[in-house]
Amino acid sequence: MNKLIGTTVCLLLIFCSCKKENTAIPAEPVKDISGSWKIIKAVRNGTDLTSRFDFSAFRINFSDSSYTIDNQVPFIISKNGTWKFDDPVYPFEITLTSPGETKQSTVLYPVVEGVRNLVISFSPGCTLNNYQYTLLKDN
Amino acid sequence: MKSFKIKKLKNYLVRIVATLVVVIIISCSMTIDTVVQQGSINGGEVLPVTLNVKIKTDAERTAKLMIAVLVPKLWKVAQKGTATFVSGFTTGVQQMSIIPAGTPAPNGNGLDWPTYLSNKIGNGGNLINDWEWVAFYSKSDYALGGGLTIDDVTVSLRLPTSTDNLSFRLAYVVANSSDGLSGTDYYGSISGGCFRVNGTGDLIDFCNPQLSTIEPRTSLDNDIITIGFDAGVADNDLSKATEVYICATGITATGEKITVCAVNAASKLSSPGAGRWSKDIWPRKFFSLSDNQQLTRMEYYFTDASGGKKVGYGGGKDPFLYTFKCQ
Repeated sequence: MNKLIGTTVCLLLIFCSCKKENTAIPAEPVKDISGSWKIIKAVRNGTDLTSRFDFSAFRINFSDSSYTIDNQVPFIISKNGTWKFDDPVYPFEITLTSPGETKQSTVLYPVVEGVRNLVISFSPGCTLNNYQYTLLKDN
Repeated sequence: MKSFKIKKLKNYLVRIVATLVVVIIISCSMTIDTVVQQGSINGGEVLPVTLNVKIKTDAERTAKLMIAVLVPKLWKVAQKGTATFVSGFTTGVQQMSIIPAGTPAPNGNGLDWPTYLSNKIGNGGNLINDWEWVAFYSKSDYALGGGLTIDDVTVSLRLPTSTDNLSFRLAYVVANSSDGLSGTDYYGSISGGCFRVNGTGDLIDFCNPQLSTIEPRTSLDNDIITIGFDAGVADNDLSKATEVYICATGITATGEKITVCAVNAASKLSSPGAGRWSKDIWPRKFFSLSDNQQLTRMEYYFTDASGGKKVGYGGGKDPFLYTFKCQ
């Protein structure tokens, strides 16, 4: 009798412990870049310029659809304007538009040491000179 | 105990023999015996080059022939250059094509051919960092038997040149698509003297050490440019300077001259030692240009902190010249 009760209790415990696993994949969030970003790495034609040129004061401040630039350095665009991603969830390209000028860049959005970086590539002068800036949110 | 030792000895012998067999099987040497190339050309003409190549095989193999050439980027060889070859083991002219960028080189740890060649072979003695390796593969694979010596491979290259006035050390590499550059026996390389293009504009001298260079070699005023000064190249007034500054005049498209010659942090060069100095500037900011001003040229000197010692082109009093332009 004791054996039967024990077995029943065990079976009840096993069944009660089983629960349907929630296998729904969470939706990928829209990439939010609003805020002020600074340059933490700058590479020209494969040469790291970060410590050789003063990028420290540069900021690009993104809001919902517009941006402003403080303390300009050679950059994809030189005037304030609007921005948009080609895909707000999986952005591959960013478009910056200022009066009379539209510039596009491939964009990477990696997580490095727990924080998002924004990596953009462009040519501010000759098209054969490629620059890649890694930006980090400043606030 | 004795049988254990014999077994161990046998194992070692088997390993040694296996290693030797592998070494013999993978041995295939390629060399460039001679290069037929003129010493100079007029800017914009096509440079014909002939390479006489020797291949030795120790085992049967099937692979593509790879030919690479070190050229100034200005020539755009990757877009317009061609390569073909003839040999005793093929019939007729064999076509070759540019290896697309990003194609991994065999045994190259994922690097593509131009990068692998840059790392392994280098710059061929060219002192301005504006060169590139351009690599060609034969369009076909070729099966070669073992124990062959093929010394009648003749590669023909046709290299476009630009109209720029320059001197450059061309270099060539021959290899195959199986071994790549994995060992010095597997590929042949050769570089020559200074090749001269009689073109237009200031001489771009890749061959001889320069007192001053600017990188990137082609740029506009909205690029960041690195101005270098190598005080050790030749005797000059700043050979023993402890501080070096740049004194420059920018000339705009409308002919305005803007001179920046202050001794301050913005004009001070930094040095890693050995008499080498450099300064990274953004010309638009350095010369405080307005939106509608564009620089076309720059003349510059190097000075000491007092401004009393001034070094220009060739160590003399004339300024160094730089033209802002793209290729």
